[in-house]
Amino acid sequence: MAAALTAAQAGLIGCEHCGLLVRAASADEPGHCPRCGSALESRRRQSIERTWALVIAAAICYIPANLLPVLGTTTLGSTEYDTIMGGVVFLYTSGSWPLALIVLIASVMVPLGKLIALGYLLISVQRRSSSSNRERTRLYRMVEFIGRWSMLDVFVDTFTVALVQLSPLMAVRPGAGVMFFAAVVVLTMIAATTFDPRLIWDAGGEQES
Amino acid sequence: MADALDSSTLPQATLTPPRRSRVSAIWLIPLLAAAVAIGIAVNRILNEGPTISILFQSAEGVEAGKTIIKYKDVKIGQVTAVELHQNYSMVRVTAKIDKHAEGLMVEDAKFWVVQPQVTLSGVSGLSTLLSGNYIGFEMGKSSKPQRHFTGLKVAPVIPIDQPGREFELSASDLGSVSVGSPLYFRRLQVGQVMAYQLDPDGNSVSIRVFVNTPFDHFVSPETRFWNASGLDVSLGESGLDVRTQSLVSLLVGGIAFETPSSAVESAPAAADTTFVLYGDRATAMKQPETISRHYVLYFAESLRGLTVGAPVTLFGLPAGEVTDVGIDIDSATTKLRGRVEIVAYPERIVSDIHTVQSASAQAMVQSPEQSHAFFQRLVMDRGLRAQLRSGSLLTGQLLVAFDFFPDAPEAEVDWSPKMPVIPTVPSTLTNLEDKVSSILAKVDKIPFETIGTELAQTLLTLNQAIEGIDKAVNNIDADVTPELKLAIAAFRRAMVTANKVIKNTDETLLGQDAPGQLELRDALQEVSRAARSLRVLTDYLERNPSSLIRGKDGEKP
Ligand SMILES: [Zn+2]
Repeated sequence: MAAALTAAQAGLIGCEHCGLLVRAASADEPGHCPRCGSALESRRRQSIERTWALVIAAAICYIPANLLPVLGTTTLGSTEYDTIMGGVVFLYTSGSWPLALIVLIASVMVPLGKLIALGYLLISVQRRSSSSNRERTRLYRMVEFIGRWSMLDVFVDTFTVALVQLSPLMAVRPGAGVMFFAAVVVLTMIAATTFDPRLIWDAGGEQES
Repeated sequence: MADALDSSTLPQATLTPPRRSRVSAIWLIPLLAAAVAIGIAVNRILNEGPTISILFQSAEGVEAGKTIIKYKDVKIGQVTAVELHQNYSMVRVTAKIDKHAEGLMVEDAKFWVVQPQVTLSGVSGLSTLLSGNYIGFEMGKSSKPQRHFTGLKVAPVIPIDQPGREFELSASDLGSVSVGSPLYFRRLQVGQVMAYQLDPDGNSVSIRVFVNTPFDHFVSPETRFWNASGLDVSLGESGLDVRTQSLVSLLVGGIAFETPSSAVESAPAAADTTFVLYGDRATAMKQPETISRHYVLYFAESLRGLTVGAPVTLFGLPAGEVTDVGIDIDSATTKLRGRVEIVAYPERIVSDIHTVQSASAQAMVQSPEQSHAFFQRLVMDRGLRAQLRSGSLLTGQLLVAFDFFPDAPEAEVDWSPKMPVIPTVPSTLTNLEDKVSSILAKVDKIPFETIGTELAQTLLTLNQAIEGIDKAVNNIDADVTPELKLAIAAFRRAMVTANKVIKNTDETLLGQDAPGQLELRDALQEVSRAARSLRVLTDYLERNPSSLIRGKDGEKP
């Protein structure tokens, strides 16, 4: 089957805000919507550059998020600080390996996976790769979907801190790692929305099955 | 339908001048993230303190990642690893010290494990019940940094910054004194026993004591120390007098000191001065002699009844005592003769001299040459001689008396041997007979009957007093001790429970049904109950120390 004609090829552009289909003023500078006046974008502006910046920022934050403690537990006067990996090791050694696995996946693997996935999408788009477009689109949807749920750890941490205040017997305080963890989640979520999935399909004619 | 779409009917986008292209501001985000991350890393590295290792005999309750090191109750580090060391005979504790405490890690810094301890002299380390054991730290005086230490078995008694002075006491035995025993001055606690050890020859024990400032100024070279651990019971004109330094000293031993009023020198003694530790106050204060002179006397008569310790008198006043009684052979005449060694305390005689002359007499006593010359003059011109006299007719005890015999054959003090030899005169039997007969005459006049009844009464009173003491001793067992024992037992039980709970906290307190929370609450209640009852007991004893002797009110014997 022949490649479908894209709106961009037809010199048309849809207003993202009011949905009006307009003719672009020029290929480089699409202009503004005549109905609602918002800037028209054939592709999201500087999508690759912005996504790269956010992914790199998230990757930087990922390091302290894992090295710094996320939780400080004060039990009867002595305070212990736990990093995420420390918590995983503690859960594993204390016998609850399913819980350890969940924490490992949700807190370590998923953010890392998102970073790798976004990096892969960016590189493949920049190299104008035209293979497995559908798979890459599916990967993008997954990254976008997971984003909503990856704040789970931060929420659990926050709730624990708020609930466990049995001072002086026991108190829990957030560690600096939580800030970085939240930063990783937020930055990857923004990066996922900044990335324009239409770019995947721009690289010439794609091979539809 | 797409083909049917006429694109020319679609509206045309409006055009505005293009924005100038520049590097997107979005790159500030990763820059900011990198700056914060690097900032944290740099901060971490800059605040990184030294890592030290401490060797302990046992690291009870010390856990890696949990146990902290405290100085003046401030955290200065945390244990990072605990492992066996040196053929498994020692425990090596590795700890990361905070940056701010880096300067404290010097050669003679001290470390020890703090755990709750109940001893008779007090309860210590109570805070560890809640926070777990920690490692105590004491600053050193050195400025040479060190990273490997050997831990102490027990906490040092005196903090290094406590001002005061150390002295050494030499005692024949340790008695009930132990490390931490209090030191009293006029019944005020002014210091503590720091350490003790058997002297290398095994003949005495040296005890190191610490006197806090400003009380260390009351220790002069003439100060007497005595063991104040016991009850000092004396039967005097005012009745039964029971004295003790304090209740605590009765239980854990104690040492008291005092400077005799006759002391000449009042300047404070230098640190590390050695003193003799006397058995009791009476002995300590009875011998104010710092100057003693030894003499030898030869007698050609029976020495039966003369014992070591028998008094030596001058004009009937105490002037010294007999230190040795034996015989030897006179090298000139090859005859056996009795040899008596005495010690004289010239200061004691001086103290009896009228105040107007005491200053010059004191000066003479201090100078051996002057006193020798004076003594020689007394012997040669005035006829000063030593004589054996009967101290008690009933027991036949003898004493050595110095008196003047102007008619005695001429003699002089022989200064040549190590101990000067003082000439003697034989005792006069007639003198004794006279005395006996005169005494017998007096004895006839004694109203024995009256004395008998009075004596009987006195004995009765004495008997009652003894009975009282007897009962008191029983009461110590029956009334007071069980309470103390119960309180301590309850306390220990509570502590064991608390310790167990703390050990299990991680498993139990975080668990779903959390049995630990219940257990912990019980334990804490138990602890506070025990503490309360111990306090009530000590309060009561403080208000009524006599209850140790007489038992509680309302149970009077
Ligand atoms: Zn519009």
